[in-house]
Amino acid sequence: MDTDSAYLQPYLPILVLLLLAGVMCFAISILAGYLGPKRTFPIKETAFECGSPTTGDPHSRHSVKFYLVALLFIVFDIESVFIYPWGALLRDFAAQGLGWFAYLEMLSFMATLALGLVYVWRKGALEWS
Amino acid sequence: MSFNAADLQGVLPAIILSVGALFLLTSEVFLRNVRPAVLGHAGGIPTSPAERVEAKLPPGAQGASPSAVTPPDRRYQAWVAAAFAALGLWASLAQLGDPAIAIFNGTAASDGFARVVAAVVCGSLLLSCLVAFGYLEALRATRGEFYALALFSASGMCLLGQATDLIVIFIALEVMSLAVYCLSAYLRRGNRPAEAAFKYFVLGSFASAIFLYGAALAYGATASTRLVDIAAALRGGGSGLLWAAAALLVVGFAFKVAAVPFHMWVPDVYDGAPAPVTGFMAAAVKVAAFATLVRILLGGFGDPVAALGAHGWQRLVVWLAGLTMVVGNLLAIPQRSVKRMLAYSSIAHAGYLLVAVAAMAGPLPRQDAIGGLLFYLASYGATVIGAFGVVAIIERKLALSGAGDDLSSWAGLSERHPALAAAMSLFMVSLAGIPPTAGFMAKLTVFRAAVSAELVPLAVLGVLTSVGGLYYYLRVVVYVYMMPTTKPDAVMGERLVAAGLALIGCAVLVVWMGVQPGAFASVAQNAVAVFSR
Amino acid sequence: MTESVFFWIFAVLTVLLAAQVVLRRNPVHAAVSLVGAFFFLSGIYLLLAAQLIAILQVMVYAGAVMVLFVFVIMLLNLKEEEMGHERLTAWKIIGGASIVVTTGLIAYLALGNAYPTGLLRDMARTQPGFGSVKGVGQALYIASVLPFEVTSLLLTIAVVGAVVVAKGKI
Repeated sequence: MDTDSAYLQPYLPILVLLLLAGVMCFAISILAGYLGPKRTFPIKETAFECGSPTTGDPHSRHSVKFYLVALLFIVFDIESVFIYPWGALLRDFAAQGLGWFAYLEMLSFMATLALGLVYVWRKGALEWS
Repeated sequence: MSFNAADLQGVLPAIILSVGALFLLTSEVFLRNVRPAVLGHAGGIPTSPAERVEAKLPPGAQGASPSAVTPPDRRYQAWVAAAFAALGLWASLAQLGDPAIAIFNGTAASDGFARVVAAVVCGSLLLSCLVAFGYLEALRATRGEFYALALFSASGMCLLGQATDLIVIFIALEVMSLAVYCLSAYLRRGNRPAEAAFKYFVLGSFASAIFLYGAALAYGATASTRLVDIAAALRGGGSGLLWAAAALLVVGFAFKVAAVPFHMWVPDVYDGAPAPVTGFMAAAVKVAAFATLVRILLGGFGDPVAALGAHGWQRLVVWLAGLTMVVGNLLAIPQRSVKRMLAYSSIAHAGYLLVAVAAMAGPLPRQDAIGGLLFYLASYGATVIGAFGVVAIIERKLALSGAGDDLSSWAGLSERHPALAAAMSLFMVSLAGIPPTAGFMAKLTVFRAAVSAELVPLAVLGVLTSVGGLYYYLRVVVYVYMMPTTKPDAVMGERLVAAGLALIGCAVLVVWMGVQPGAFASVAQNAVAVFSR
Repeated sequence: MTESVFFWIFAVLTVLLAAQVVLRRNPVHAAVSLVGAFFFLSGIYLLLAAQLIAILQVMVYAGAVMVLFVFVIMLLNLKEEEMGHERLTAWKIIGGASIVVTTGLIAYLALGNAYPTGLLRDMARTQPGFGSVKGVGQALYIASVLPFEVTSLLLTIAVVGAVVVAKGKI
């Protein structure tokens, strides 16, 4: 690796790991297909549902409730992303004399979001009914 | 670095509006259904919503049976929202004379331009809240979320007017847009509104993505997102990357202001959204988008070479303006639905506003052009909110009587509702640009700026297309005053106090700005000093 | 050198997979391609020495955002006949051509010489701590207070908007 790209050095193990994982995945699935015994007969090919005949369409539509929950999950997930570096840095900020500033900054950020949480909570959007 | 008073004072209108929004949001979910015992305890039921709020009474509808649980009265919400909008208006006007300063490490500015923009936004919000009051009541759709979202979006608009950093611009743009998408989807009834909201969301996100691409290229070329750094890089000789960035930024905002050929979403969205929201969109979103466009073009790319050179943005804006005026007016002519006609007319007005933006490219007429743009935005805002206010009243009446949005439903309005008919005619006359209304003075200042910027063909095109516009604006007046009533009218069940106030406010502004433009021009003069150099 | 090699691998794969997202008719295939595109994009972030962004790209986008997309696909659960047909209309050709021309033009303007050169790359590698959690934090909390605070408004609007648009009964 040339000096120009030296900063990428730490990621070499990750690359190796990813390559290994990828190779393993493909190798196992392909090898299993070739090496594994295949004894198929008609009954084995049918869908199995606890011994009783299958009913209904396997591709049922999910309720829109899932969507709302997923959406709220994303929003709060992104909030945590915004909060995480702050936690890592708070000591540094305090050392720079910015401790209170950083605290108030995060306080107003969190207060806004907390009101959002209060809103969804009271609105009943988190209830599963 | 700390939170200092000047920084916070600089974004005071946005803070006021956000606090108002959060207050409405919280109060909405803590409202309770009214139990009869509470009603009995309170004795007499105050009649006006203001009194109800004062009395801290969780009031219910009159005439409810004693045992029934009635939903909470939410009528205070419009007034609270209007109060916060008025507070924001006051905050922005009170700072009007203060010196211009850079705030928050230079990511935003608190200057005359920003304050005028904030004032226009807050004024539009105030009028729109009043218009929305009766509309939502009639549809039984009054919710705190509506006003909270309106306040949030206005807060984003105020920030857009003062942002001088591409990141702040983008986030404020998203605050504004996201809230307005939700507002346009607010009623959730029927296919047409759903389609409108979806279209608006998808195309709006697309526009935001294009803007973001432009911002990324500008960052790639200058290693900074501050507009001043872009301007400095241009003075040192721009790169091809910066021209591409400028083009993408302009295109992103051309979507937002509905310039042709980025206008396709407008008719469906304006038609499908609730009429008070449409008025707010047409007035306030345009103000914020044009303000940001001016900030980017003058603050970042204001260099004479960048503006007027062979690759300058003036040529781009001139083409956009010409196309928008012609196509907007031509497409408005065959429309028989008043809402759709107003949608196409809003495209046409974006064209006239782009004329002012094109005139800003030269250093000499810049002052007049910016002043003209602000005056035009304010006058168009007052007019279009008024027009959609009347549409909102007529629309819900028509919904009651089962008639469509066709022009024929407007026939004979003057016999049934002379005041509404007079108001609508005034707004149409102003949109058409006939003296002595605000629309005339606005067009006059903009075209004068275009002439002094040596854009005579564009000014001539503007005048010609305005003459074409006379046809479809005055057709509404003809229907209102000269056609006989075809359908009997449904009874107007709801009170019109708030909407009436809003319409009176709009009408007074329209006439006042038309008769005494000097008073407003001096305010605008205050604002344009920012971009002089 | 190493950098350029990896850049071209990641860039080509990202663009190919992103194109698959648009061109695939089966939404699940499109979603899987999107995961791949996100993944290789995070590789490009790594090459730009933006480690935190790279990790977040995988965690938030390839993780959480994809969950949302897959939810939507499951919600809609389009049947074969509902997906529409692959038709080549004039508009699609015009749109595709204009995208190719525009991106080509920008690439020509941006990459006058080969990747990676220029301001940003130097900035990334000369500033200590660039792209690390602390580096991003300093930029986010100190230099960009205003956008940071406005982001909390944006997220709150997203919450309210989700409820207003998607909740069954409000």
